[in-house]
Amino acid sequence: MEANSRMTGLHESRVQRQKSSLFRQSLKRLMKNKLAVAGFGVVVCMFVLCFIGPFFSPYTDNKINMTLMNKAPNLQHLLGTDALGRDILTRVMQAGRISLTVGLASMLLSVFIGALLGAIAGYYRGIADQVIMRIADLLMTIPSLPLLFIFGALLSEWKVRADYRMYIVMLMLSIVNWPGLARMVRGQMLSLREREFMQAAVVLGLRDSRKLFHHLLPNVVPLLIVMATLNIGGAILSESVLSFFGLGVMPPTPTWGNMIDAANNMIDFQDHPWLWIPPGLSIFATVIAINIFGDGLRDVLDPKQKR
Amino acid sequence: MSTYLTKRLLYMLVILFAASLLIFCLYASTPGDFITGNIKLTAERKAELREIYGLNKPMLERYGIWMNNAFHGDFGYSLAQQKPVLQLFNDYIWNSFLLAAVSTFLTWVIAVIVGVISAYKQYSWFDTLVMVAIFAAMSLPSFFIGLFLIKILAVDLKWLPPGGMITTGSNATGLAYLKEVVRHMALPVVVMTLLGLGSLTRYFRSNMIDVLKQDYIRTARAKGLKERKVLFTHALRNALLPAITLVGFELPALFGGSLIIEQIFNWPGIGQLYMKSFGLRDYPLLMGFTMFIAILTVIGTLLSDILYRVADPRVRL
Amino acid sequence: MRKSTLVLSTLLITGSMLLAACSDNNNSNTATGNTPTSATADSGGTAGTEATASPAPVSAGALSEPFTATDLTKLPAVAQNRTDTIIVGLTDPSGAFTPYFQESGYDGNVSSLLYASLVTVDDKGVPTPELAESWDVSDDQLTYTFHLRKDLKFSDGSPLTADDVAFTWTIQYDKAYDGGSSLPSLNVKGGKAYKEGTAKTVEGIKVIDPQTISVTLEKPNATALVTLGSNVLSKAYYGKDYKFGQLDYIKKLHEHPLGDGPYKLEKFLPGQEVRLTANENYFKGKPKTEHFIYKTSEGDVWQFLETGEVDYASFSASEENIEKLKALGFVNIIPYTPSTYGYMQVNLKHEQLKDKEVRQAIMYGLDRQSIYVDAQQGAGAIANIPASPISWAYTEEGINPYKYDPEKAKQLLDAAGWTVGANGIREKGGKPLSIHYLGSKSKNTDIFIAVAKENFEALGIEFQPEVFADFNSLVSKVEGGDYDLVSFSTSMLTDPADGFMQFFDGEITDYDNPKFLELYNKALATTDIEQRKAVYKELYQLFNDELPILFTSYKKTVYAYNGRIQNLTVSPFIGLAGSLPEWTLK
Repeated sequence: MEANSRMTGLHESRVQRQKSSLFRQSLKRLMKNKLAVAGFGVVVCMFVLCFIGPFFSPYTDNKINMTLMNKAPNLQHLLGTDALGRDILTRVMQAGRISLTVGLASMLLSVFIGALLGAIAGYYRGIADQVIMRIADLLMTIPSLPLLFIFGALLSEWKVRADYRMYIVMLMLSIVNWPGLARMVRGQMLSLREREFMQAAVVLGLRDSRKLFHHLLPNVVPLLIVMATLNIGGAILSESVLSFFGLGVMPPTPTWGNMIDAANNMIDFQDHPWLWIPPGLSIFATVIAINIFGDGLRDVLDPKQKR
Repeated sequence: MSTYLTKRLLYMLVILFAASLLIFCLYASTPGDFITGNIKLTAERKAELREIYGLNKPMLERYGIWMNNAFHGDFGYSLAQQKPVLQLFNDYIWNSFLLAAVSTFLTWVIAVIVGVISAYKQYSWFDTLVMVAIFAAMSLPSFFIGLFLIKILAVDLKWLPPGGMITTGSNATGLAYLKEVVRHMALPVVVMTLLGLGSLTRYFRSNMIDVLKQDYIRTARAKGLKERKVLFTHALRNALLPAITLVGFELPALFGGSLIIEQIFNWPGIGQLYMKSFGLRDYPLLMGFTMFIAILTVIGTLLSDILYRVADPRVRL
Repeated sequence: MRKSTLVLSTLLITGSMLLAACSDNNNSNTATGNTPTSATADSGGTAGTEATASPAPVSAGALSEPFTATDLTKLPAVAQNRTDTIIVGLTDPSGAFTPYFQESGYDGNVSSLLYASLVTVDDKGVPTPELAESWDVSDDQLTYTFHLRKDLKFSDGSPLTADDVAFTWTIQYDKAYDGGSSLPSLNVKGGKAYKEGTAKTVEGIKVIDPQTISVTLEKPNATALVTLGSNVLSKAYYGKDYKFGQLDYIKKLHEHPLGDGPYKLEKFLPGQEVRLTANENYFKGKPKTEHFIYKTSEGDVWQFLETGEVDYASFSASEENIEKLKALGFVNIIPYTPSTYGYMQVNLKHEQLKDKEVRQAIMYGLDRQSIYVDAQQGAGAIANIPASPISWAYTEEGINPYKYDPEKAKQLLDAAGWTVGANGIREKGGKPLSIHYLGSKSKNTDIFIAVAKENFEALGIEFQPEVFADFNSLVSKVEGGDYDLVSFSTSMLTDPADGFMQFFDGEITDYDNPKFLELYNKALATTDIEQRKAVYKELYQLFNDELPILFTSYKKTVYAYNGRIQNLTVSPFIGLAGSLPEWTLK
């Protein structure tokens, strides 16, 4: 967040000072929530590890070495090696870059689209509401499996490079998946509209945009944060689904999802735990941490709690 | 209300019609058709078969034929399974429904109880523990939990069977049959409940926290009501009310089947069948099933909108 | 939101199913007890081939000899308690148990136990009598006469006669027949007229007496004997409601089959089990074990074998799997090499692969040992010719093994005019050398891509892999012609001629070599095995040098089964069905 808002200079207006103190207050409250801070710490660590870690690894070239196949963790390979003798630690870190990026990006996009359309439908009602919600109804009936395959076929037809395909597919999925969130936001808006404070806002004759952005949306933010954090784990997992259908990242490039998927049978599961524990733990830790942090953030930002 | 309902029902029909067209076109334009996969057939035979199945007709004409038959209650024969689509539904959907119904019920009961308690004791060690546990359950890939439980409970300890719905070759009937099915469904139900628990518990917890901060709760407490009464009569009812809108959304999930769970636990459900049919481009089955789910989705949406109004009378529909 | 996440994650594990249904490309232990499907079983067998020449013994991966259970007391109680029932896993029988009308090979596994054939094949792929006592082939190779055994009965006790055989053949020429049988492509005389409705019967099919039937073809076909000599449908049962152009009624009979095989259907539980009981009217006598169950089990069957829920399962022959199986103590293990081979189809229309030298360079430059043998822990072997190592025609004489040799590959590419350009990618006439590869999504494809990427980079070839989660998408991409290489595996090969099938059924159309056609026909023109062997050797040498397809690998499998089962053998061509009636539980 903007660091300059902490400096309260003489030249700054009263409003800004108010904002800053609000921010400070929130930050203070957030800092008090030890669990949330810990969660944030884990997320930061994950990012640092994944984006900087590989620079310190001697195995970044992902050379195949059949003599090192499926070796348990040892001093050379701290987390062992996979079925092609590649270092798992390095691959987990490289995988994290893609998984984290994809998870965040697709979450942001779908939350943005969902919230925007839901808010418009819930606030303006009438025609806009009808159109948006009927489209949402329609989209919710559509199975995603054939959609994925058609996307795949189209991208393949257009000769989009396999490496970029997954990002496009991810975007398309976010675009298709907004109805659930939009409905929820709309529902909240409908019920908020009828609250006393909104009636007050109407009586005061506030502008639409002010009502929407200053009074209604802040009340929806906690919900959005919950949804967003819930969503990020799903996005990280769905990345592996895409890879699985050949729409994701091409095989030698690792992602957490496709690494875990490599141990998707009883034999590997029993005998080579180092194949699935590191990526599994990474997803696990990241998603837990994001969720806990999101939960803390929700508590802090919830306007109802500021009484 | 009744004009609203008629309007909504009309909308529903329009949406279902649009959905059927859209879904039909989607399936039809997925690369490859039912014949493509059989690479052993000569080109002439492929053409002959496409003629027999009507796959060589233009997409819209095929849609018209399908729609016409569907109106007459004929959902066609599955190409791959060589059986009427409706019979296949009957063979598989109830198995999926059994799993989904039991686990949904468990999920709701547990989520309400845990959510309420942890909201009441917000920030206590219990609350923290519950939240971490919930997030943990949500952060694991489902195949992982499935394999893990199979390994521990079925393979190592041999307490429960590793998969299937009945013991292979069993002729049990009545109570013995029931017992067998319950034993077999224990593991998949546990996994499905675990997977669904997270978001719902969180939902109830935050609802309850909101409610507990309301003025009327303070008033109730100030009146000197017993804490238990405050909690269960005043707070709980108000916290649960918004959740009934979710009921509608559970509807399609109850019949849709869960692919991963069904596969890992070898459960004879519709989810697996759908996936296989997709791989084979078995259009009649795909269309039938998808439309069935679409109808449930639309009904579920309507249901949740109506329940919403019931739950929160301030909302104008 | 919740919905989208759920829907997506439900897709996670599904790909294996998509693949298991259609492609044999993955060595993973999916399909179990997989006898040849009806579609693959009826291709093969040249007229009147005489049995000779035993196949070279092939060891499967780390297991060269059958392994006998060491400690039967470890057998789980569930399996211990079964006294007259054997359970085998089967991926997905759908319930269409009528031969010729089924779409899934798994249904074929079931119907191969419900129906016997006129002619079957032995362990070497040579046709042997079953329901037909003997057969004659006319000198012009056009007329086949089958002599049925006496007193044959369907499982309900009704007699099986030549009329039933004639009915079975005839309905496959009905214009409404939509099954995958290859009989219609045999061109039985008068078949076309019947299909068009201009003839009341198929002219070429003649019932001579209740035990004798003959059929005349329009042109000779090497696969005719086995195709014609398949299962027999009861005319009284399946033909009761038959009218020309109307076959829909048969669908209602799918779940109530009436056959003549070792077992009959007791009960079909969709998605769960196919329960069979011994048929007392089976012409070889009632099978020794009363009950046989195919248990539907998708994907990983390890836990079912380990807990005694199934008696039999197949695994890829990796060292690790074999060690694990041996450690169980209660299973017998037999090594098995399927009679298939893996290959990459080459797009010969594309400029860069038109040159034989480039194709050879790829063979030299690809580390096939790493991909197909080492990474599989020995559960595979390298292929260099279009024949399985268990075939009687298999040879390594005069065959170039294309040992991994990147230097040689570079020389070949240089010689073909592809020189290294500015960015390290080879070019010819300004065009970069780039290979667009298609594969089915599987663990093995992942391995291939990882290694091939390294290999091709070292050669200066740009490598663009693309993977497909389901077979239909892959095939339609191939049909569109937008590829350079694509991985496939053949289905079960019975006769050496089957190894060239893809050049005749429309899969590969742009390989035009008169020498190939001449040799291919020469090999089919004779029934003398030594002569045929010599011709095939020449043909294999030609293919090994020309490389119209790039040969990749052979699979190696092991079968593990409950140590109490006696007399179990697995035929490379008909799977379990041959020995099943003899199985007993100790």
